[in-house]
Amino acid sequence: MILPAYFTFTCFILVPIFLIVYYSLTDYNMFASPNFNSVKNYMRMATDEDFLKSVQNTLVYSLFYLIPQLSLGLLFAVLLHRPSRFITVLRSAIYIPNVISMVCVSMAWLWIFNPTFGVLNHVISAIGIPEQTWLLDPAMALGCIIVMSIWKSCGYSMVIYLSGLTGIPASLYEAARIDGAGAFRQFTAITWPMLKPTTFFLLITGIVNSFSVFEQVNIMTNGGPLRSTTTIVHQIYRRGFLEFKMGYASSMAVVLLIFSLLITILVFKFGSKGQDTDIS
Amino acid sequence: MKTQRAYTIIWTILVVSIALVAILPVIMMFFASFKTLEEIRSADFRLLPKALSFENYRVAFETGDWHIYYRNSLVITSVTVAFALLFNSIAGFAFARLNFKGSRILFLLLLIGLMMPPQVTMLPTFLIMAKFPLAGGNNLFGAGGHGLINTIPGIIIPLVSGSYGVFLCKQYYENFPRSIDDAALIDGANKWQLFFLIYVPNSRVILVTLTLLKGLSVWNDYLWPLVMTSSESKRTVQLALTMFTSENVTQWGPLMAAATFVAAPMIILFLFTQKYFIQGIVTTGLK
Repeated sequence: MILPAYFTFTCFILVPIFLIVYYSLTDYNMFASPNFNSVKNYMRMATDEDFLKSVQNTLVYSLFYLIPQLSLGLLFAVLLHRPSRFITVLRSAIYIPNVISMVCVSMAWLWIFNPTFGVLNHVISAIGIPEQTWLLDPAMALGCIIVMSIWKSCGYSMVIYLSGLTGIPASLYEAARIDGAGAFRQFTAITWPMLKPTTFFLLITGIVNSFSVFEQVNIMTNGGPLRSTTTIVHQIYRRGFLEFKMGYASSMAVVLLIFSLLITILVFKFGSKGQDTDIS
Repeated sequence: MKTQRAYTIIWTILVVSIALVAILPVIMMFFASFKTLEEIRSADFRLLPKALSFENYRVAFETGDWHIYYRNSLVITSVTVAFALLFNSIAGFAFARLNFKGSRILFLLLLIGLMMPPQVTMLPTFLIMAKFPLAGGNNLFGAGGHGLINTIPGIIIPLVSGSYGVFLCKQYYENFPRSIDDAALIDGANKWQLFFLIYVPNSRVILVTLTLLKGLSVWNDYLWPLVMTSSESKRTVQLALTMFTSENVTQWGPLMAAATFVAAPMIILFLFTQKYFIQGIVTTGLK
């Protein structure tokens, strides 16, 4: 009975994983048949400045996107975890950016970040800060993309955290209150430890997602200015599908695969260790 | 008592402003779609347009064949969702209920799909689609033609696979009482009858959730259709949106109008099915 699902899974996920390792060791370019060239692609990658920059950008993006995004999600969840008539409206408002496609929101933010007539410049010049060029400034472009991505997905973390919060028994808070714990102490002693599994889940899926950041980069900056926003998947796309260097692009994909598996395993090890002590 | 009220007021102001900031870019996009270009580019910013004009929508619709893009997106989304639902729920049921040989290993292997960015396998999947046997001028061994590249089935087939749905269904079916299995088996039902006559009618929640999540991700997908299609007639709505921006000129008005009507179906769907959306995310989120 698992046959149909497993067949597609094998064809489009398992076999491609093996294929990509194979192609990464060849000079395949779609027109001529692949020739084996062992680790040449990997050697080349080590000196390819575009690629090294993209690895750096991807890591910077992941770090500065994940932590604020999770914290904001948690903050909103804690704030919205109480009965109120308008709670559904408020939650929906925060969640809606997450159901809109990345293409649409990138377009909207392209306008917001526009240096000549974008809303953001109107706002900051109104409060006396000089106007910025945002996405055109190599020093700020990646930051702008990070801000936009945080905005888009913190509603998702909020919903997951809300589900975690409903799972915490109210009696714990009552006991804490009787013992005289304040709101902050209740958060650090009950909410945060009880939400460890939720954070753990969000961290794993978040890492996989942020390692594959591409759409907003391709639409908003196309990797520029001066390669300041190019990411690993953006490089794979450029090399593989615009320059047809399939072999070389494959080795980048292998690096991406190893990176994400390594970090996922690391988080798993580290995360599950914490879980045992906290839930008891 | 007084501090309690003050706290409530502060809370209200805080959450309302957070929600407003969160939704503001979407609202601005919506209002900008009614503005003229001069208004969008003017130095003094106003949220509401001066006059309600549908000019941008007219221009946007006249740029390109939107009925084709919509039809493509609709076909891709609905066919993918239909097959994914069928395959994933059957596999989820099998993993949850049938203790066949190697089921644990196969399931663990499936989890790799959850731990890896889908873009990793994009290149080989593309090449597999190019070598798809007996399609697009290919012979039985996948040589000679261009396979399923630049075709709608070429976009759909790889999207059907996914560990996520199987995982979701397995979690859901594991919570079913085993006694109903036994009852059905004693009455002489086989595993297919058990699944289709007992499990499927009782899995409305999971099937609706899966439809929404998968439908959303396929409708909003950008990269896969981007690499798979090259001709105008195979474009999806997300790809079509990018035609309003080019290196030098961006048609802001029509762009905002098009972005509005590409995003609208999903927003409306979300508002009507919120309960399932949230529930689905919650069930996938935990355990």
